[in-house]
Amino acid sequence: MNKFKRIATYTFLSAAAIVSIFPFLWMLVSMTNRSVDVTQGRLLPGTHLFENLRVLFESVNMVTALVNSTIIAVITTFFTLLIGSLAGYGFEIYRTPGKDRVFNLLLLSMMIPFAAIMIPLYRLFGGVSSTVSFLGIDTLAAAILPTVITAFFIFFFRQNTKMFAKDLVEAGRIDGLSELGIFFRIYLPTMKTTYAAAAIIAFMNSWNNYLWPLVVLQSPENQTIPLLISNLGAGYTPDFGVIMTAIVIATLPTAIVFFIMQKHFVAGMMGSVKG
Amino acid sequence: MKDFHYKKSWLIALALAVFLVLAACSSDEESGASGDGGEEPDKITAWAWDPNFNIAALDIAKESYDDDIDLEIIENAQDDIVSKLNTGLSSGSMKGMPNIVLIEDQRAQSFLQSYPDAFYPIDDYINPDDFASYKLAPTSFDDQQYGLPFDTGVTGLFFRTDYLEEAGYSMEDLTDITWEKYIEIGQDVKEKTGKDMISLDPNDLGIIRIMIQSAGVWYVDEEGTNVNITDNEPLRKAFENYKAMMEADFIKANSDWSQYLAAFNGGDVATVPSGNWIGASIEAEEEQSGNWGVAPIPRLDMDGAVNASNLGGSSFYVLDIPGKEQAAEFLGDTFGADEEFYQELVNEVGALGTYTPASDGEAYQKENEFFGDQSLISDFSTWVEDIPSVNYGMHTYAIEDILAAEMQNYLKGKSLDDALADAQGQAEAQLK
Amino acid sequence: MSKVMESSSSSYKGHKKSIGNWYKKNYIGWLFILIAVVGISLFYFYPMIRALLLSFQSGMGSNLEYVGLDNYIRLFSDPTFIAALTNTFIYLLIQVPVMIILALFFSVLLNDATLKFKGFFRTAIFLPCVTSLVAYAVIFKYLFGVDGLINQFLLDLSLISQPLNWLADPVLAKITIIIAITWRWTGYNMIFYLSALQNVDKSMYEAAKIDGATSFQQFFYITVPMLKPIILFTSIISTIGTLQIFDEIMNITNGGPGNATLSISMYIYNLSFEYSPDFGYAATVSYVIVILVVVLSLIQFKVAGDDK
Repeated sequence: MNKFKRIATYTFLSAAAIVSIFPFLWMLVSMTNRSVDVTQGRLLPGTHLFENLRVLFESVNMVTALVNSTIIAVITTFFTLLIGSLAGYGFEIYRTPGKDRVFNLLLLSMMIPFAAIMIPLYRLFGGVSSTVSFLGIDTLAAAILPTVITAFFIFFFRQNTKMFAKDLVEAGRIDGLSELGIFFRIYLPTMKTTYAAAAIIAFMNSWNNYLWPLVVLQSPENQTIPLLISNLGAGYTPDFGVIMTAIVIATLPTAIVFFIMQKHFVAGMMGSVKG
Repeated sequence: MKDFHYKKSWLIALALAVFLVLAACSSDEESGASGDGGEEPDKITAWAWDPNFNIAALDIAKESYDDDIDLEIIENAQDDIVSKLNTGLSSGSMKGMPNIVLIEDQRAQSFLQSYPDAFYPIDDYINPDDFASYKLAPTSFDDQQYGLPFDTGVTGLFFRTDYLEEAGYSMEDLTDITWEKYIEIGQDVKEKTGKDMISLDPNDLGIIRIMIQSAGVWYVDEEGTNVNITDNEPLRKAFENYKAMMEADFIKANSDWSQYLAAFNGGDVATVPSGNWIGASIEAEEEQSGNWGVAPIPRLDMDGAVNASNLGGSSFYVLDIPGKEQAAEFLGDTFGADEEFYQELVNEVGALGTYTPASDGEAYQKENEFFGDQSLISDFSTWVEDIPSVNYGMHTYAIEDILAAEMQNYLKGKSLDDALADAQGQAEAQLK
Repeated sequence: MSKVMESSSSSYKGHKKSIGNWYKKNYIGWLFILIAVVGISLFYFYPMIRALLLSFQSGMGSNLEYVGLDNYIRLFSDPTFIAALTNTFIYLLIQVPVMIILALFFSVLLNDATLKFKGFFRTAIFLPCVTSLVAYAVIFKYLFGVDGLINQFLLDLSLISQPLNWLADPVLAKITIIIAITWRWTGYNMIFYLSALQNVDKSMYEAAKIDGATSFQQFFYITVPMLKPIILFTSIISTIGTLQIFDEIMNITNGGPGNATLSISMYIYNLSFEYSPDFGYAATVSYVIVILVVVLSLIQFKVAGDDK
């Protein structure tokens, strides 16, 4: 019986893994093929890898886009985690009816589709452009700011704080730590796994963010990866080999971040003590 | 104690709400004023979408321009340009908007009429009569010319000479035919060669648009305002043809652009009825060189229909922001006047403009080896002159989505009358 | 909403020692959340109020005028909107439960300490959600094309006799969308459960085993209750995500065939950018999503809150 269960588990997980991975293999194969081969769904590796890379780095500003996307994603991730966890902690640890009401109000902000608030938001940044030019239209700051503070991460950290042992807060107070000290010295190290998961998500969201950077960033110097890929597919005769190569390169950073953070999950297993 | 806190938090929430409403209302004033800030910018920016086509064209224009111009050409996908323009123009702050922007003809009226103050008329910089007449209606508004007509979407029936030959057809058999004849040939080709006749995406009614424009009508009436579906005889005929094709079993279905390209690059289909710009994609598969030809597009079997139509095509627009005179001058002196430039455009990019004086130039007469030494450009430019002029109005894509849904119903057995009547009703309700 | 939140976690009355102390801490608590409140007000609520005002206006582009409730009335006679609403609910009712159950299931399997290749499986299943949307869309269109691998696979297994036209059939196209969303987001949800499971005390499972509880019982009596806050969280997030579903539809089927896969957000996009822009009506449709999410979240909070 137990052996049967084992086999079933492995079979099931293997099937899921194959379904999940297969498209990636195809992407990798496709980056070595010509455009025509990609459109015809060729499954064998070709010899066009270097040609595709050459086209990509010579004719398109891949490096600039990579740098921009990295700057935006790293800064966004850092501030998202900081602001989100401070607020999530604040709402849960210092719970009052007033704060609960504000919290519920904040949740409302997740519910409207971005397309609906995009234009007023653009107008907001457009209005600032002439006075505070460093955060006006077409600046990285404008691309970052509205994405840094999201109800999602506040909600996320609050839910996770529910599993955080509140006695540790009291213990910290007895040890004479300030309230902020408790947050940074006790809460933050204890919640490593939560931060790791949040970091992956924040990085991914920011890295793949499309609509807002699209409207707020105009000049090619500020282009991000998703915008670049969108442009590659725009012509009447797109080169799908080059597009696949760009997609693989664009996917690498998020995959790398996940691989790095994954270790922290395991380490965090020991770190997060309950009660 | 607790009650007190309830009150306090409500007060905070109320104060917040009042603050936000105030902020919301007060910022109305800040818009509008921007845009005519006065000072000349140090560079002119232009947005376009295809590096091998319209961006390349701008590059050539920049080189052949006599005056000094600091022109920055920015590549954006077409859909992205539409989103960016709409966001920027509707927000009222023209911050970040380009001086020159390329807009597809079928979308132009929607922009011109939605943001009447945002565009700069260019009548003083070009002579509209120099351009193919069918391009003028979509690019002008209120008797003023806003768009500088760029490429033509003149259509042709691209076909595999080898497949058609195998089935016993020559160029002559495909010239000046009706869609009914086309379907007949298609069945024959399928029978004799096993190859499908055409690749279609059920979501894209491009072929319907080709059919109806060849008869000089559109989804809206001549004023461009009233939905014209139920009493639209050509549209009715186009629907019937479409269904006949679907039932003829010679369709290779595709669901996106790459599969569409794959269908002919992979040699799976015998014909590609499309805009002239598809030529570059067909030529991408070098092995098929010499096996392709282009015939005039089939026509609807009715009076007034011609063997010429249009699919796609776009024009340049100047935004009413500082630098507009410079931008308009640049466009007028290159795209609007320079015959030499158009020869270069054909030679280097293979782009066919709609500037008629240029069509006598030698580049237009050149033979194309890939297409069995046919003088492709020359043929296309002859057909351009026959394209019936229609008013696209502002709602092409909104109506087309409705039609696509009804087309599905029609294919599944709903009567044509009902399908078109329902589409008419829905379109009228949506576009009032 | 707040009433339910109280029941699902510690109460705020617990810690107060003295009134003065409580005040001080309450005040510090506000400081913790200050940045978030200001930021969200500025970048979300302000634009949302603008959008609300917009929803009472209609017209093309910048030629807007106030029309009162006309836009809201128009909703009820707009067949495209009704189609979009129906489709969105179909996605919601099928996709969210399937995905959450799958994700929970994976996470429990992967949380087994004796499992080999755990890292590999976890990474593999999570991998889809690191893809950019463009990649994902191209891949799915290719896989589900008429000549695509899915059809070849089904043909080889003799499950079908001729290729299915996945993306051109109204029902199959919806199924494709649901498969695509599930493919991309199951691993994402799984990560939440996995990270939460690691915060769950292992000794509880050991105690349960000693008491002779089966895996199923462990799952329902330990795992699910312990993970309840996070399950609630993910199901609300997924509900919001699915109600706003846009990228997948835009990139894979573009709403077609006909309107068979059109979602509400896709319709909003079309109204704003694809058709002649009517931002007023687009904002009205957006507020329908807001109302739906609020109602559905309340229901979810209620359901999750009651049986504790």
